[in-house]
Amino acid sequence: MMSGNAIRLAGAALAVGLAMGSAHAEDAPAKAAADIAKYTSIPGFTAAGEPFDAKACMADKSILSIPGSSSVPFLATINASMARIAKDVGFKFQIWENQGQPTQWVQGIEYGVANKFNLIDLLAGADPRSLVPQIKAARDASVTVTASHVTGFEQDVPGGVSAAIPIDYKQAGKLLAEWTISKTGGKTNALVLVTNEVLSTDSMVAGLKEAFADCPDCTYKIVNVSIPDWASKIQPNVQSAVIADPGLNYVIPIYDSMSQFVVPALTITGATDRVKVATFNGTPFVLDMIRNGQVEMDVGENLDWIAYGLLDAQMRLLCGLPAVKDPKIPLLIFDASNAATAGTPAESSKGYGDAYLAGYKALWKL
Amino acid sequence: MSADIAAQDAARRQIWIDRGERYGLLIAWLIVIAAFGLAKPGIFLSWANFSTIFGSQAVLVVMTLGLIIPLTAGDYDLSIAGNLTLSSMTIAVLNVYFGWPIFAAALMALAVGLAIGAVNAFLVLFFRINSLIVTLGMGTFLHGITLWISNSNTISGIDFAIANVVIVTRLFGIPLAFYYALLIAAIIWYVFTFTAAGQRLLFVGRGREVARLSGIRVDQVRAATFLVSGLLGGFAGILSVGSLGAADPNSGLSYLLPAFAAAFLGATTITPGRFNPIGSVIAVYFLVTGITGLSILGISTFVQDLFYGGALVIAVCLSQLVRGRQERLS
Repeated sequence: MMSGNAIRLAGAALAVGLAMGSAHAEDAPAKAAADIAKYTSIPGFTAAGEPFDAKACMADKSILSIPGSSSVPFLATINASMARIAKDVGFKFQIWENQGQPTQWVQGIEYGVANKFNLIDLLAGADPRSLVPQIKAARDASVTVTASHVTGFEQDVPGGVSAAIPIDYKQAGKLLAEWTISKTGGKTNALVLVTNEVLSTDSMVAGLKEAFADCPDCTYKIVNVSIPDWASKIQPNVQSAVIADPGLNYVIPIYDSMSQFVVPALTITGATDRVKVATFNGTPFVLDMIRNGQVEMDVGENLDWIAYGLLDAQMRLLCGLPAVKDPKIPLLIFDASNAATAGTPAESSKGYGDAYLAGYKALWKL
Repeated sequence: MSADIAAQDAARRQIWIDRGERYGLLIAWLIVIAAFGLAKPGIFLSWANFSTIFGSQAVLVVMTLGLIIPLTAGDYDLSIAGNLTLSSMTIAVLNVYFGWPIFAAALMALAVGLAIGAVNAFLVLFFRINSLIVTLGMGTFLHGITLWISNSNTISGIDFAIANVVIVTRLFGIPLAFYYALLIAAIIWYVFTFTAAGQRLLFVGRGREVARLSGIRVDQVRAATFLVSGLLGGFAGILSVGSLGAADPNSGLSYLLPAFAAAFLGATTITPGRFNPIGSVIAVYFLVTGITGLSILGISTFVQDLFYGGALVIAVCLSQLVRGRQERLS
């Protein structure tokens, strides 16, 4: 039997515990809002390494870029920017145009090796894990192979490439969760739509889970929809989730091109006022959807800035400089208050300021 | 005497077998509804759920109806998904980039669909090439044009008037898109069942040489099926834009397998052994009910693939069995 003191002690401990738990719950929205605030103003430029003379070092170098698919606007835009920047710096840059088929990526690597490119870059989607023999053959032929914009900071270098140029996907995932925590006062009830076959998903989901772990009253359900099924599966899944759970207040499609199938699901179920959409990528048509009130927020990346950041990291590898662990490509949150700064209709690299242009010019001694 | 009774028994049994075949899918649909209803009564059996199921699949219904017309004549139209995508992108480009009124842009989408049907018909009938190959190539070609005119971009910001007349406005709580699809199914049913054109189409599908020898202009009938299929592809494009409020260059292509699954599944019911519009509509909603139920139960999306793919294979097997039995009887 417990003594009176022991009971009083246990009671006090329970009270403190409950108070702490409640403070924890109350803190979650404030903490989330504080983190979000860091990503709401136009970002400044931060160099990823020491300045170097890019023109001199790259004069006799060449880069072949193999995008996940040239038909994805996000990648086509980054590639076009990279080609323009390479021309300004003065080195050979070629894009291996493809429709997203692994056999085309294989061909691209073999073309790069046969034509003696110094660096072959697998850009955002050309999955290194499915190209291991080709990557090994390229590296054996002294070609540097990079995987850009596919992994988060904490993920391993995939498929035996020479280096990965990561993006802060984990923070992007965290921001999505924090946005909903902040907006609902720590009562998020979200449907999270993911695409597991994309390498960056793991990192984004890790960020989401980390943020939600700090929010005791938040609930979320993760549904995986592979890319070819986006058009046919996202809408019914969202509709079902909205109908099945009257308390649902957010849908988080972790890649914003999914949003076009989420929005009609909310319209048909009459849930546009109750259920909001928070997403990531900053694709122009989704920024237009924010302006039209169909999507609440989008964590955006400046595609032109990405092109500079990736090339900076690749040039450093070719110039024998230390490898870049963080290309310092910033994230910016778009919502109703600043969506118009991206243009009407929105453009891919507008709204992020232009600090990076002067920054890279000075960094590369152009 | 006993022979008469045995014959009567056999006839009665035959009637029940026929009914079973005719309404089998409908019964299966009701069983699926009952099963999910038992699992999640408050949610699955709600009107909100059914209005969502009915209202959100008009694109798939129209596409399936577009497929069954050439299928009845023994031809495939694999380009219908590419047609849908190009038609919807035509609306987006004309309305958003060129400032066309939405009505004019929608008419142009229908014209694009019709033109695609005409080209398909010309290639199949003039060069005597298998429709499977022509329309497969055409579908890929159309996808290329779609990527080209859209610069591979999803285009949003389309005049909201189109969404208003497709999914926003409702009748009995169900978006108008559902009724458009039903109306098209009713027209096709009428043509198939009560008109000479419908009967000619059926003859052509059952045996081209026999139809030709019977005086039917087979090429004319086949050309008409491609034109109607093209037109319905264009209309599906309009519904797609109205549903999404945007046009994207890739997503329409993923409707092709579900539409074929529904067309073949529909051929096992109402008029077993024949592609028929009412069967097709039931088949679409049978498949969608299954997928919605699985989603509500929180079952992974791969199970939905098992459901779609499995339904297609089972449907084709059943259809083949029915056809074989009918041939034996005749």
